[in-house]
Amino acid sequence: MAGKKDPPKPRPKPAPRGARTKAAQALAKDDLEQQPEKSVRGAAESASASAQPSPESTRRRKPPPPHGKDEFSALLEPFYYGKALHDPINTAEDKWNLLPAFLKVKGLVKQHIDSYNHFVDVDLRQIIKSNRFVRSDFDPKFLLEYTDIRVLSPNRHDEDDLDHHKSNITPNECRLRDMTYAAPIVVDIVYTRGNTKVKRTGIKIGRMPIMLRSNKCVLAGKNDREMAFMEECPLDPGGYFITRGQEKVILVQEQLNKNRVIVESAKGIMQASVTSSTHERRTKTYVIQKKGLMFLRHNTLSEEVPIAFVLKALGVHSDKEILLMVAGEDSAYQDNFAVNFEACGREGVHTQEKALEYIGHRVRLSKKPLGTSRMRNYHLEAIECLSNVVLPHVPVEGINFRPKALYVALMARRVLMAMQDPKLVDDRDYVGNKRLELAGQMLSLLFEDHFKRFNHDFKLSIDKVLKKQNRAQEFDAFSHFSVHKNHITLGVERAIATGNWSLKRFKMDRAGVTHVLSRLSYISAIGMMTRISSQFEKTRKVSGPRALQPSQFGMLCTSDTPEGEACGLVKNLALMTHITTHDDEDPIRKIVFLLGAEDICLQTGEEIHAEGVYSVCLNGTPLALTDFPKRFLNTFRKLRRMGRISEFTSIHINHDYNEVHIATDEGRICRPMIVVENTHSKVTSRYLKALRKGTMDFEDFLHRGLVEYLDVNEENDTNIALTEHEINQHTTHLEIAPLTILGAVAGLIPYPHHNQSPRNTYQCAMGKQAIGAIAYNQLARIDTLLYLMVYPQKPMVKTRTIELIKYDKLPAGQNATVAVMSYSGYDIEDALVLNKASCDRGFGRCQVFKKTSTPLKTYANGTSDRINAGALVKTDPKHNAIGTDGIAQVGARLSQGDAFLLKAFPVDTTTRAGANTYKSQPASYKLPDPSYVDKVCITENEAGTTLIKILTRQTRRPELGDKFSSRHGQKGVVGLISPQEDMPFNDQGITPDIIMNPHGFPSRMTVGKMLELLSGKAGVLNGTLEYGTAFGGSKAEDMSDLLVKHGFSYSGKDYLTSGITGESLQFYVFFGPIFYQKLKHMVQDKMHSRARGPRAILTRQPTEGRARDGGLRLGEMERDCLIAYGASQLLLERLMISSDAHKVDVCEKCGQMGSMGYCKMCESEANIRHLTMPYAAKLLIQELGSMNIKVAIGLEDEFPRGDAEARRR
Amino acid sequence: MSAYNPPTQTGGATSHTQPTISVSDTARSVEYTCGDCDAAVSLKRGEPIRCRSCGHRVLYKQRTNRMVQFEAR
Repeated sequence: MAGKKDPPKPRPKPAPRGARTKAAQALAKDDLEQQPEKSVRGAAESASASAQPSPESTRRRKPPPPHGKDEFSALLEPFYYGKALHDPINTAEDKWNLLPAFLKVKGLVKQHIDSYNHFVDVDLRQIIKSNRFVRSDFDPKFLLEYTDIRVLSPNRHDEDDLDHHKSNITPNECRLRDMTYAAPIVVDIVYTRGNTKVKRTGIKIGRMPIMLRSNKCVLAGKNDREMAFMEECPLDPGGYFITRGQEKVILVQEQLNKNRVIVESAKGIMQASVTSSTHERRTKTYVIQKKGLMFLRHNTLSEEVPIAFVLKALGVHSDKEILLMVAGEDSAYQDNFAVNFEACGREGVHTQEKALEYIGHRVRLSKKPLGTSRMRNYHLEAIECLSNVVLPHVPVEGINFRPKALYVALMARRVLMAMQDPKLVDDRDYVGNKRLELAGQMLSLLFEDHFKRFNHDFKLSIDKVLKKQNRAQEFDAFSHFSVHKNHITLGVERAIATGNWSLKRFKMDRAGVTHVLSRLSYISAIGMMTRISSQFEKTRKVSGPRALQPSQFGMLCTSDTPEGEACGLVKNLALMTHITTHDDEDPIRKIVFLLGAEDICLQTGEEIHAEGVYSVCLNGTPLALTDFPKRFLNTFRKLRRMGRISEFTSIHINHDYNEVHIATDEGRICRPMIVVENTHSKVTSRYLKALRKGTMDFEDFLHRGLVEYLDVNEENDTNIALTEHEINQHTTHLEIAPLTILGAVAGLIPYPHHNQSPRNTYQCAMGKQAIGAIAYNQLARIDTLLYLMVYPQKPMVKTRTIELIKYDKLPAGQNATVAVMSYSGYDIEDALVLNKASCDRGFGRCQVFKKTSTPLKTYANGTSDRINAGALVKTDPKHNAIGTDGIAQVGARLSQGDAFLLKAFPVDTTTRAGANTYKSQPASYKLPDPSYVDKVCITENEAGTTLIKILTRQTRRPELGDKFSSRHGQKGVVGLISPQEDMPFNDQGITPDIIMNPHGFPSRMTVGKMLELLSGKAGVLNGTLEYGTAFGGSKAEDMSDLLVKHGFSYSGKDYLTSGITGESLQFYVFFGPIFYQKLKHMVQDKMHSRARGPRAILTRQPTEGRARDGGLRLGEMERDCLIAYGASQLLLERLMISSDAHKVDVCEKCGQMGSMGYCKMCESEANIRHLTMPYAAKLLIQELGSMNIKVAIGLEDEFPRGDAEARRR
Repeated sequence: MSAYNPPTQTGGATSHTQPTISVSDTARSVEYTCGDCDAAVSLKRGEPIRCRSCGHRVLYKQRTNRMVQFEAR
């Protein structure tokens, strides 16, 4: 019933040339014609039938059933999140069941993994295909051809040479041994040796770092048990790499659309620009309107070329044709454009010949012509430039320049339209105009670059041999082949390890592409995997890119962004977003023509811009024309729902430009939505039952067309109902669950819809700093810094998101009983009062693990560092912790100054002297607070260097000044730890764990926190875990009822008795459990004081920072206060005497500094004066002197004798 | 609070051999535990770091047999 789905959409912008009514008529005609639904389906069927020849490329195969039981199966049967199989299904409420099903198939970081899989399986082959031949400059007979490329399963570097060997490498071994988790890349080649062709298969050309949980990873398809066996956490999202023992993430990069026209206006200049991106080239082409004239601008053209010339050169001969192609029959457009033909007359460019010559003269030569200045062939250069350099993404097949001419005309038309109607200027910040670049694309750029270099190096080395005419033996190029394989391995590894992506080909030099995966908490790791970084500069003060975009809805999290300089530039993916990978264009092209659209290249400008005619664009390039856009769109969608086309293909109509856009490109953000037809959701209780039973999964929903993916542009073209009862005759889709507009990190917040929005943003930042459980393998890891909570609890008030990301299995926080009241005055300004007995029982207790890693280096002369157990002195108290092997004993206590490793290094590391002497250099424990040795790991890295990793452990209980926070952006430090006896108690004798000051509520407006307390309290009494899901959750009314049922006040307030006086408190106290997180900022790591201590060498001022035992700075502003107050002696004492006072001898006569009471300039001692000045000032004078600036010090008596005597008189 | 020191020096130390500094440290071997198969591996100085039974290259030092006292708080 396609006809019904067409809503009489109010068109947002009027068509500029009075075409509105006609277009509407055309649409209406569409509707009429669609009434016989059968015919449409028939067309679709026939189209799909004829599209059959390439089903492989379009249809996704169902993944094989998972090995054994995975974790989700536990949730699916016999209960599905608290619902039994036989419980009645209410589609309106239970449609969210699709969400866990989605995450089961897609996973939390599926974007990264999908992208990497696509790279390894598809992109690599494409790269090989476009670089498949290697030829020699000297031997025309020589040819090497790559026929295939594969990435094998990961192994250790030293296993590379073994054949038929199954490696038992695990990611955790790579972490522990500082190795790179990588797999060999093998190619099949055919090359000429003498006169024969030799075929070789499985030749290793390098190693590719493997993304964890990708299909090449050893963890792929493993169940929990197998994961545990490999010491890997089943909840770990994967999606990162391990290089040199470090976990590295390639963050998602946000970029402007590629290969699409963007119309911008700046300073009165209207321009349409396209960033073309193909495998060979990346260029930007502009069509600009300047002073009423239109030009084409490109980097390779030395000046702007009038648009008429370009179109002429592209084979549009007559002016009338050009005019029609750009402006159509619209008189306003024609008037605006006609001026451009004046240039033809002025320059005498009337033919294609002339136009090509004109352009050819303006082509910048990329390479200087070799040797002699040969005659340039301007025509050929122009043709070459136009076909390959300008708009390279529009292919020119043979000499068919028509598509390119149409594209240039389209750009010109966009500019014309935007001149008429400024509303048509594109919004760069619109999410539909953005593409996300993922690990796979970044790696594919990198690999192609290195592969080309590999081929180049190989060619050079064989050329060296082939240059010689007569060789002693037959030349086998294979001997030169494997020489360079290290270049690819090291190049890729270095790029990932350092984050420096430098590609000469695209002049790309990006730093900070990869980051170390933050393992502060489980949430911080997940948050990092969903993070999107923007390419915009942080310094510019434009609010546009930072602002929340309405089109972000459901795609990017609305709450999770950092505060401060990166605010709004760093974003996070929402829970259900998927980022598309590249799909093949060819099947789509075929289908477009099968659906009755006509090839645009066969049409004249008049026909293209006729009213009611819509052009069909595939990835931004016009491809065909259709008279019935709506019907076309509906049939196309139908095909997609039938699974004949990839589900990530998007189609939408742009009524402003009369275009139907089909997109198959990579990096589009999309999300699934329930399909609504005939005012009925296609997902019915029957399907949900099947889902619950486990007979259907999310993929089945997709294949049956019950659910489909919509990208941002297509989403704009639909009417989406939020709930089932909101469906009306215009509705096309139904939201799966509204909570998915938030991301994984914001999903932790209970009742976020009751909070003031900045509070949710604050919590998103703090959730990542909370100490808790990190992964199931947390104790098998040896991280540089690891914070663990001793008794983490799952929150009393959960959300659906918490269950989905399994935060309840790796929680970071504890349910504290909170009394909201004033107590003791140590709770002002957000400070918290903690119950001492709770701390004794383990509230807020955490462990801090720190690693010291010591590689035993080997030096050039064969000597190496060693552990010198002989240096152990039993009587030395500093050696108390050391065992007989010279390494600290596991379990031993380390106090400040204790040695934990008796390392010795050779004195002579260069010459090959026989007996070497060693100098011992014991590593000692630096921190003031003692630790225990938790683990000592001795291993060897890939290079064969011995690594000694020592893990120390501290157990910390909360102390004054430790930072705690609830889940509502309400942080506070501990102000007092009060004995339990003094705490208030209720009639059951319950004392709070935390007392929080009520002043925290009114200005923060975190109503969600109050609701959390209420639901939590009801849950405690009822023995249930309550929900605080966004836009849902347990209702306050139900919670109040539960409280009343258990004999408590409906309001959550309790009657308390003071523990100090024994009197009843005069007020009721809001009292109940709130989930509190302990944040990583702890006093112990920050506490610092100094009286005297080390000084910096250069300035002789006290050092800076706690790590260097630094002084506390009296800064500029403090100095200003002292000046204003007139405390000059204090100022002098702070800034000079206690800092860098320095005695200098200054010659009064010449003003220069002397030494030892003697002025070298005056060669006398007569006028030397001794004075004290800051060393920094002395340094400045000398530094200026070194720059040939003389500084003379003028001395003057502050209290001249004459004056003093005069005053006395 | 430093690690608990046994009242008599011999009490804790008699359990394992206590070679003096004069004994060449090459002769001494220390027991480690394999990170994969949990087998005990005794290594001497200069020996490759590798489990004898499974070939795994991550070894952990065994826990001290000295007494360790913690402050319970």
